[in-house]
Amino acid sequence: MGVIIGPRVIEAGLSLRLVLVSPVAVAAGFPSPAQDYFDGRIDLNEHLIKDITSTYIVRVSGDSMEHAGISDGDELIVNRALEPRDGSVVVAVLDGELTIKRLKITAAGVVLQAANPLYPDIIVPALADLTIWGVATRCLHHV
Amino acid sequence: MSETRQQIALVDVNCFYASAERAFDPSLEGKPLVVLSNNDGCAVTRSPEAKALGISTGQPWFKIAPRAREWGLVALSSNYELYGDISARVMELLGRYSAWLEVYSIDEAFLGIKGSPEQVTGLGRTIRAAVRRNVGVPVCVGIAGTKTLAKLANRWAKNNPALEGVCRWESMAPDARELLMSRLPVSEVWGVADRLEKRLNAMGISSILELSRADPVMVRDRFSVVLMRTVLELRGTPCIPLEEERVGRDQLIFSRSFSTPLTSVPEFRQVLSVYAQQASARLTRHHLQAKVLTAFAGTSHYNPKDKSFPSVCVPLPMPTADPVLLTKAAHALLPAIQDGVRYARAGIMVTDLRPSGNQPPLDPFTNPHEERGIGPLVEQISRKYGRGTIGLGFAGLRSGLDWSMKRGMRSPRYTTHWDELPVVRAA
Repeated sequence: MGVIIGPRVIEAGLSLRLVLVSPVAVAAGFPSPAQDYFDGRIDLNEHLIKDITSTYIVRVSGDSMEHAGISDGDELIVNRALEPRDGSVVVAVLDGELTIKRLKITAAGVVLQAANPLYPDIIVPALADLTIWGVATRCLHHV
Repeated sequence: MSETRQQIALVDVNCFYASAERAFDPSLEGKPLVVLSNNDGCAVTRSPEAKALGISTGQPWFKIAPRAREWGLVALSSNYELYGDISARVMELLGRYSAWLEVYSIDEAFLGIKGSPEQVTGLGRTIRAAVRRNVGVPVCVGIAGTKTLAKLANRWAKNNPALEGVCRWESMAPDARELLMSRLPVSEVWGVADRLEKRLNAMGISSILELSRADPVMVRDRFSVVLMRTVLELRGTPCIPLEEERVGRDQLIFSRSFSTPLTSVPEFRQVLSVYAQQASARLTRHHLQAKVLTAFAGTSHYNPKDKSFPSVCVPLPMPTADPVLLTKAAHALLPAIQDGVRYARAGIMVTDLRPSGNQPPLDPFTNPHEERGIGPLVEQISRKYGRGTIGLGFAGLRSGLDWSMKRGMRSPRYTTHWDELPVVRAA
């Protein structure tokens, strides 16, 4: 039996391509010994994103977090649902901008630290005076 | 008995488009902001600060523009990719709080909730805090025994800062409710449009309170059964059931919970095809075309074992109501469907709608591409003369014509385009 042609697949209107389908199942030799073990590929979403409603990806501009392994141009996975804690790398709202800093919560108050000695600490009177946009959970560093 | 009867919560995002923009650009906070309609025609969303300047919904941009600088007004083009994604996130989050969720429009949903008065009010507060925290946009919650009253309660929650965004209708004193209803014109009630208002006014019914006191049978006979239901709902008798589709201002949604969960990709292919064809039929009927399609699915929140909430947002190559293109776009969700997972609901939403221009309406259930044999012809030519020499519709136009609409002031598509991610400063 020959191979029939169809159906045509329209790729979101951008191009047309033909898909070849066989009308009958084709015996293709000995089944793969691995087939019973195949359980799907690793899905980065599954491992890197805990909650998709609250997870955003942002891009870093600047070198103030260099020593924390976060470089200019890197992408960060940010979870808005996480509670910021002492030591969290957070996206904070500073002067109307989204800014990446390390949050230090001390007895003396709240400090936003850069991870590069060239940049000074920012002292905030209390956590309540600060808008934390989200907590960074992963850095997608370009190597 | 009344302690645990079903209540309805209406959750909607405050100034949705403006709030979505502010979530990624905090510098817009506190500034007067308008979001413009397709082709930057007129203001469709206004921040409270823009409202305070006297800008009205639908005001043409060319009339506002000359004073924008003086006002410090920020105007943005519609960013439907962003709004579609934020909407999907909000709806998904809301779905965690109720098994009964009706997505009513891009920015509002009805939820069925149960519990004591304190519990349902508490749930309203939890929902409000969660959407604000997780997704980043503010919502208000109105809770009542009927959809119509939930709408009214939501409105009250919006206009009364003391309520902090959550209003349970029955928690208001009866005379306070009456006072509120007597002050609001009938046009403010859900489902009463302008034309109806004039006829009602002519009969001496001008406030919502007067409508609620009208004789339902008279209302049915002189108007419609729809308006009779509104009267009954205003009196607290629920009679507007779950609706699964609705044409909103600029979007159209087909969403439904399945009686038996779907578990396989072929089943989804079928369901999404059906929804896409329904969307196509409905767009055609309303002489509309869509530019963006969002498809989504979700597992039940009573089934915490396998959680899966895939969604895709597909920009269409050109505004379309074509069933083939919409189906194809809806199928973009299929790779995200996990085989064997029990999905409880699915839906598609088409947004960025515009009038369909001069093309004749398509018969939604025929497939013009297949019928006319254009596909094989195009393929034949492409094979002979090289790919790109000819294409179907938009695909054939390599350059020259600009089909894209004017969105000169659009913000980045922060959540759907890798090249347009929000930038965080490390400085």
